[in-house]
Amino acid sequence: MTQLRVGILGSGAMARTHLNAWKALGAPWIGIQDRNLEATTALGATFGAQVCHTPEALLEDCDLLDVCLPTFLHREAVGKAARAGKHVLCEKPLALSLEDGTAMIHACEAAGVRLYVAQVLRFFPQYRQAAQLARAGQLGTLQVMRFKRVGAPPYGGSSWFADDALSGGVVVDMMLHDLDYALMLAGEVKRAFARITRTPDKQYVQAVLTHSSGVLSHFESGWAYAPGLFRTAFDLAGDAGLLEWSSDAPGPLTRMPLEEEVRQGVLLPEVSAASDPYTAQLEHAAHCFETGEPFEVTPQDALSALRVALAVRESAQSGRPVSLERAL
Amino acid sequence: MRVAFLGLAHVHVENYVSILESLPNVDLIGCAEREGLSSPCRTFTGVQMYPSVSLLLEGCPDAVIICSETAHHRELVEQAAAAGAHILCEKPIATTLEDALAMNAACQKAGVQFMTAFPMRFDATLEQTRQELQAGSLGQVLGVVGVNYSVNPSAHDAWFADPALAGGGAAMDHVVHLADLYRWCFGCEIREVYATLGRTPGSSVETSGLLLVTLENGVQASIDCSWSRPGSYPRWGQLTLEIVAENGALRVDPFAEHLSLYGNTLPGPQWVSFSPDPNRAMLRAFLESVERGSPPPVTWLDGYRALQVVLGAYASNQSGQPEVLSSEIN
Repeated sequence: MTQLRVGILGSGAMARTHLNAWKALGAPWIGIQDRNLEATTALGATFGAQVCHTPEALLEDCDLLDVCLPTFLHREAVGKAARAGKHVLCEKPLALSLEDGTAMIHACEAAGVRLYVAQVLRFFPQYRQAAQLARAGQLGTLQVMRFKRVGAPPYGGSSWFADDALSGGVVVDMMLHDLDYALMLAGEVKRAFARITRTPDKQYVQAVLTHSSGVLSHFESGWAYAPGLFRTAFDLAGDAGLLEWSSDAPGPLTRMPLEEEVRQGVLLPEVSAASDPYTAQLEHAAHCFETGEPFEVTPQDALSALRVALAVRESAQSGRPVSLERAL
Repeated sequence: MRVAFLGLAHVHVENYVSILESLPNVDLIGCAEREGLSSPCRTFTGVQMYPSVSLLLEGCPDAVIICSETAHHRELVEQAAAAGAHILCEKPIATTLEDALAMNAACQKAGVQFMTAFPMRFDATLEQTRQELQAGSLGQVLGVVGVNYSVNPSAHDAWFADPALAGGGAAMDHVVHLADLYRWCFGCEIREVYATLGRTPGSSVETSGLLLVTLENGVQASIDCSWSRPGSYPRWGQLTLEIVAENGALRVDPFAEHLSLYGNTLPGPQWVSFSPDPNRAMLRAFLESVERGSPPPVTWLDGYRALQVVLGAYASNQSGQPEVLSSEIN
C-alpha cells in the first residue's frame, strides 16, 4: 500500500494502465487531468479517480505527478511538477532530445524533487528473471544478445506516434525499452549501426550495437505488423549458457479455437495479473519516493538509453555507423 | 555413377556418406584425405580409404565431393578438375577470392562442372518462401531477420576455429548460408555489408557476429552467424528467417518439424527432425546434373558471391564502416 496522492496527466493507454496499477496499490487519492475531457471523465468514472480541470489543480492536490502524456509534452509537464515541488514519475521515453532530458533532470535536482522514468521492461517478469540469471553467472561472459519488439502501428499509424517530431519514432519510443535493458546487462555502447524502412504508415528498424565490453547486440523494432499483432523476444547468449524467450510461446491460458479478437490502439505486451509489470514498477517507484531509496531506473539510465536510441536513429537516417565512445 | 570423397574434415561428410549409400546407381568408390594429414579425419566402414588423392583419382570418378578444410579446397579442386571429375564443393568454397577464382579457372579449363553445396536451396519451405517473394504477394519487404546460430563446431572439429584452415570462425562458417538465401530469394545481389564480430576469451577466431546487409533492391536484412548455442542445445543450432512485409510477416523455420527426445543417458532434450533432409535433395540434384551434363543448380558464382559477403563482413568489422561489395568478379 502506498500513501502517495497521485496525479496523473494524460488519458491514453498509459494513463489507463497506471490508473489501474495505482488503484491496485491502494493510492489514497488519484487525480487525473487531460485536455481530452471525454476520455478523462470516462477513466475517472471507471477507476474512481478525481477529474481535475487544469494541471495546476492536479498539482495542488498530489504528492506525485505521474506524466502519461505524449513524449513531446514531457519536458513542460516535468518542469511544472518540479516548480511546484512535487516528485515526478515520467513515462518513457524521458524526452525527445538529450538537451530536453538533461534540462528535465536538472530542473528536478534544482527543485529538490525526485524523478523516476518508467522504463518498465526491467519489471517484466521474464526480463527480470533473465537479468537475475545473467548476474548470477549462469550465462558466463555475455557474448551476443538479440531483442525483438515489433507490433502494429499505434492507431493504424494515424496518431502522434507516427510523427517522429512528437514521438521520436519507433527507435526512441519502442527500441528504447530493449536498449535500456541491453545497457543494463552489457554496459556502454561503442558503436551503433541501423537501417530503417518506412512506408506511409509503417516503420521497421534493425540495429546492431557493439558494446565497449565486447558484447554484441541486435535489435529489431517496428510498427510494421497487421492490426492486433505484437511480438517480443530476447535471446541472451554467453560463453557458458543461453536464455531464450519469445512471446510466441503459449501462455498459461490458451483458448481453443484461438480468439479472433483484434486489439486496437496502442498495443502493450500481454501480461498476467499475478505478475503485472506495470503495477510492480509503480510499487517500486512509490516505495522509493516514500523512503528515499535509489530507483531501479535512475534518471541517468534514462538519459543513457535515450542517447543510444538517438544514435541508432541517426545511423538509420544517415546509413553510417555512429560512434558513441565518450571523448576523453 | 562413380563418386568419391576428397577430404573428410567437414562435419557434413557423415551425412553425405549415408545418403550416397542409400541412393541407387551410386558407386561410392572411396575417400582420400589431402596431403599432409597424418591420419584421416573420419573413416567409414565399407568405404575404401585411399592413401592419396591422386591414387583415388586414378580410379576415374565421375564426380567428387570436396569436404576438406576450407583452405585446402583449392588444391583438391585443381586435382579433381585435372582428372576430369565434376565437383560438389563444401561451403564456403574458399577462404580467399583468389583461391575461389583459381578454382573456377581450373574447372573451366578442364570442362568440369562445379557446384557449391548450399543445401538450404533444396528445402521445400524455403523454395515456397522464394516463390512468394518473387510473386510479390507480400508487398514491399520492410526487412528480414536471419538467424543461423549454432553450437561451437570446434568442440568436435577443431579446424573450424583454426584461421589457417577455416579462414576465420563463426562468420566464415555461417554467413554464406543466409547470404546465399537472400540472393536467391530476392534474385539480386547484396550491395553493402555492415558487421560487428566478437570472440570469447581465449578464442583465436570470432565466435559471434551480427551483420546488417542491404540488397540491391534496397531490402535490409540481418544475419546472426554466432556460435552462441551452448553444447547442451537440443540441436546443432537454428536457421530461421523472419520476413516483415507490408502485407504481412512470414516466419520461416525449415527445421521446425522435430520431435523432442528425452533420455536418462542424454545430456538434455534432443530435437530429432522428421522432415526431409535438404542434403539428400542437394546430392541428388548434383548427381543428376552430372549424369545429364547440364549446369549445376547452384554454381561457382553463387559460392563466390557468398564468400564476398563474408570477406566484406571481416572488412567492415575492421573499418567499423559498411563495406560496398564489388560487382566485378576479380
